[in-house]
Amino acid sequence: MGAKKLKPASFFCPHFSVSLFKLLTGHTYLQPLNTILFSSFLFLMRKPTFFLTIFLVFSVVAFAQQTLKLPPYQKTKLPNGLTIILMPQTEVPIVSLSIGVRAGSINDPAGKEGVASVTADLLRKGTKIRTSEQISSELDFVGGTLEFGAAQDFMRGQGEFLKKDVTLGLDVLADVLMNPTFAQAEVDKLLAQRIDGIKQAKDQAQAVIGNYFNAYLYGQHLYARPVDGDEKSLAAIKRLDVMNFYEKNYGPQSVTIAVVGDFETASMLNTLKNKFGSWKQKGTAATPTLSEPIAFKGKKLLLVDKPDSTQTYFLIGNTGIAKNNPDRAGIEIVNTVFGGRFTSMLNDALRVSSGLTYGAQANFSQRQVAGPFVISTYTQNKTTVQAIDLALDILKKLHEQGLSEEQLKSSKAYIKGTYPPKIETSDQLAKQLVEWDFYGLDEREVNDYFAKIDALSAADVKRIIHQYYPLDNLVFTLIGKADEIKEQVKKYAPQMDEKKIGQVGF
Amino acid sequence: MKKLSLGLLLLLSLPLVLSAQNIEVKTHQLKNGMKVVVHEDHSIPSVALYIFYRIGSRNERPGTTGLSHFFEHMMFNGAKKYGFKQFDVVMEAAGGHNNAYTSNDVTVYQDWFTPSALERIFDMEADRIRDLAFDAKVIESERGVVASERRSSIDGSNAGIIYEQLWASAFTAHPYQWPVVGWMVDIENWKMEDLKKHFEMGYSPSNATMVVTGDVKFEDIVKLSEKYIEPISSHAPPPPVTTVEPEQQGERRVVVKKFAQLPMLMIGYHVPKTADADYYSLQVLSNVLFAGESSRMYQRLVDKDQIALGVEGGTELALDPTLFLISAQPKEGIAPEKVEKTLYEEIDRVKSGGITDKELQKAKNILLANFYRQMKTINGKANTLGSYEVFFGDYKKLFSAADDYAKVNLDDVKRVAAKYFGEKNRTVATLIPEKEETKTASSGEGKPIAAKAPSKQKAKRK
Repeated sequence: MGAKKLKPASFFCPHFSVSLFKLLTGHTYLQPLNTILFSSFLFLMRKPTFFLTIFLVFSVVAFAQQTLKLPPYQKTKLPNGLTIILMPQTEVPIVSLSIGVRAGSINDPAGKEGVASVTADLLRKGTKIRTSEQISSELDFVGGTLEFGAAQDFMRGQGEFLKKDVTLGLDVLADVLMNPTFAQAEVDKLLAQRIDGIKQAKDQAQAVIGNYFNAYLYGQHLYARPVDGDEKSLAAIKRLDVMNFYEKNYGPQSVTIAVVGDFETASMLNTLKNKFGSWKQKGTAATPTLSEPIAFKGKKLLLVDKPDSTQTYFLIGNTGIAKNNPDRAGIEIVNTVFGGRFTSMLNDALRVSSGLTYGAQANFSQRQVAGPFVISTYTQNKTTVQAIDLALDILKKLHEQGLSEEQLKSSKAYIKGTYPPKIETSDQLAKQLVEWDFYGLDEREVNDYFAKIDALSAADVKRIIHQYYPLDNLVFTLIGKADEIKEQVKKYAPQMDEKKIGQVGF
Repeated sequence: MKKLSLGLLLLLSLPLVLSAQNIEVKTHQLKNGMKVVVHEDHSIPSVALYIFYRIGSRNERPGTTGLSHFFEHMMFNGAKKYGFKQFDVVMEAAGGHNNAYTSNDVTVYQDWFTPSALERIFDMEADRIRDLAFDAKVIESERGVVASERRSSIDGSNAGIIYEQLWASAFTAHPYQWPVVGWMVDIENWKMEDLKKHFEMGYSPSNATMVVTGDVKFEDIVKLSEKYIEPISSHAPPPPVTTVEPEQQGERRVVVKKFAQLPMLMIGYHVPKTADADYYSLQVLSNVLFAGESSRMYQRLVDKDQIALGVEGGTELALDPTLFLISAQPKEGIAPEKVEKTLYEEIDRVKSGGITDKELQKAKNILLANFYRQMKTINGKANTLGSYEVFFGDYKKLFSAADDYAKVNLDDVKRVAAKYFGEKNRTVATLIPEKEETKTASSGEGKPIAAKAPSKQKAKRK
């Protein structure tokens, strides 16, 4: 019901209305109201559901108990540079599409932050042969979906159609990718909505805290930017900016399309060649050079005043790891114990044993270069210090005590046991195939996964904790009622900065 | 994981089913009254085990509202054999995880795990149904967790606040008037005795249905449920909820004024329970009005008039007569009343002119596609089977849903629009922002106070 906003590539975000994980990607998009309405109030979940999903892993299809093998897929590069990946799966008469374009928010021109995101949204708002309304009508009539959204590193699209309607779906997809018109009226309409969308997001601390944190942590680095821009940068965007962005970044050589589901490979490849083969190479597709982010040295704290807050929301962290980090399987094992599942050290201390919060967790967001590492939770105003102290104690404990043999064993079993449902469906697989293509990874992510998990030793754990979990260098971001917490939280860092939630930007 | 969110969406609009897609389901009745529903699906080495208890906030009373939900949390806090924390510790070490949810009507426990953990899960589920522990210290700690959950999901969310006020105004007699999470003052005041009574009332095996889907054998489930669950004795189910909400005799309005960036609007119309014959027609109407960007409401409010950022509407599954909810986020500078008036115009258009053939077909197609998406996963199947069993009285209704939707015609849609979407039958909740004084400086840059912070960064990184 209602168009769902595309989730950033690297996070599986379930129904819980606002997951901190998602927010770290810098998205401040409109919450679909049905998510707000129904998911979080009608059905009160026992846990924030990100416990179910941990951090992003490698997608897979698993069969025999202890080994995984990805089903075969075929990768083709068309003469114009477009990459096609096909994986037939016949269990359900559905076909899933995943699209990646090297046109993420890191490609935004300075001062026009949000262009990538706005461009992605505008693809569906009219082409040379279809109006915005026609596109929606055609898709909705067959119960199909097709959504686009920018993340930092690239633009992601996903679609899903019943088997009988997939040709229509691909036809619309080709049209919106190759022939968008960016009509002035549609551009104006969307920008106005997006600016209000920032305000709407600021009414919910969890929806924007990641933006504040990223900005505060990353400084001059491109990852500091909010993917969806802010009130000021959105106001600066004109139709010409969108058209320039499209011309520069959208071309067959910067696009990967994965199709997974109920189809016959040869004929699907033909269909795709027909639809996309005529797309002429254009655009520079030069992804900006992403420098390796520099971890913050020392401690600093940003306090964002939201005067109606009854709870303080906080993130504590620093720069983390890249998507291709060779240690990521080991990091996942450690992080599962530290802050990645319900019985994690953080959740046990802050929720289960003390009742300070509904949930506490830690996460590494993996991107082209080091994404953020954060500890995140919230607590009522008067227990703010108690909760932050406790979170820092747990981090210290991780460094001092490491993981017990039992914890290591449990983490491995947990990861392996809960993995198969993460790669169960055609849309999950399609998304994964595109992501690997962009990050230079392949099916070994799956096929070697359990072996990597099994191989992790106690010595590896020690090294990983020391190497990847910051202890003395920490960036704090808090959103709360400044009147009630400001004096007490000064103690965490020699440098404290303040903002008000109503101020422009993050 | 998208599938999980679909799982919940399904509860909003039970999907259309093609008879060709009937999945093979076997059932087993335990002697203590619990029904076990099994669907084997060996596509991945994973199992979903759901237990639906027919108890929710509708079974509560003033003073202890939110108890069902609180109790749902307590079910994870230790029993006789598996003590405090052990349910999660043991399950996660065995390669499983879990969650649970509570609604007005049901409390549902969800276990997802690797097939080798099957017997252990039965042992743990039996332990907590039979011998739940009530530890005073643990109760106090969990009280804090639920209070935090309430603060973030309701108090810290403008939509949450007016949602709560809307239901509290639309229902004057029936228990749907209080929030599932409970009023904060009740959360603070539950006593041990309240919990014990609640357990005795709702947690009889005869008051529950177990659904198992995934990489299992039916025979194994029968064996394990007979071994672990059947010996647990049953008792009387919760007293029937006899209160019927009196017919509403005029529009009700409720206003919330608080610090906010944007206003918000929510409207509720009384509609029948899920098992009512009008359910299917209402679902079709809901799709025509709200599903996708081609829907009437999106086209009018968001696309053409550009007075709202988003608009949503629909019902959730309910054992008793419930609300059809409409929610809209007005754009800045647009009075909620204007959005409201436009919503009514669109509703009136259906009442007077009905919908088109094409819209009818579109709604049915969307319902069908939603169904397939839902049935892609073992979790989705488990939740769907259990929901049909509880809210329609029989999981088999799943297989006739296609016919039930096919029967909906243009007149039905027009008829339900006229029947339920009237002024006298609605309650309107509005959130009006009260901005603090400093907000007038909203055009200024966010300037850091500490001189040390590089201000250039600030301007840019927002």
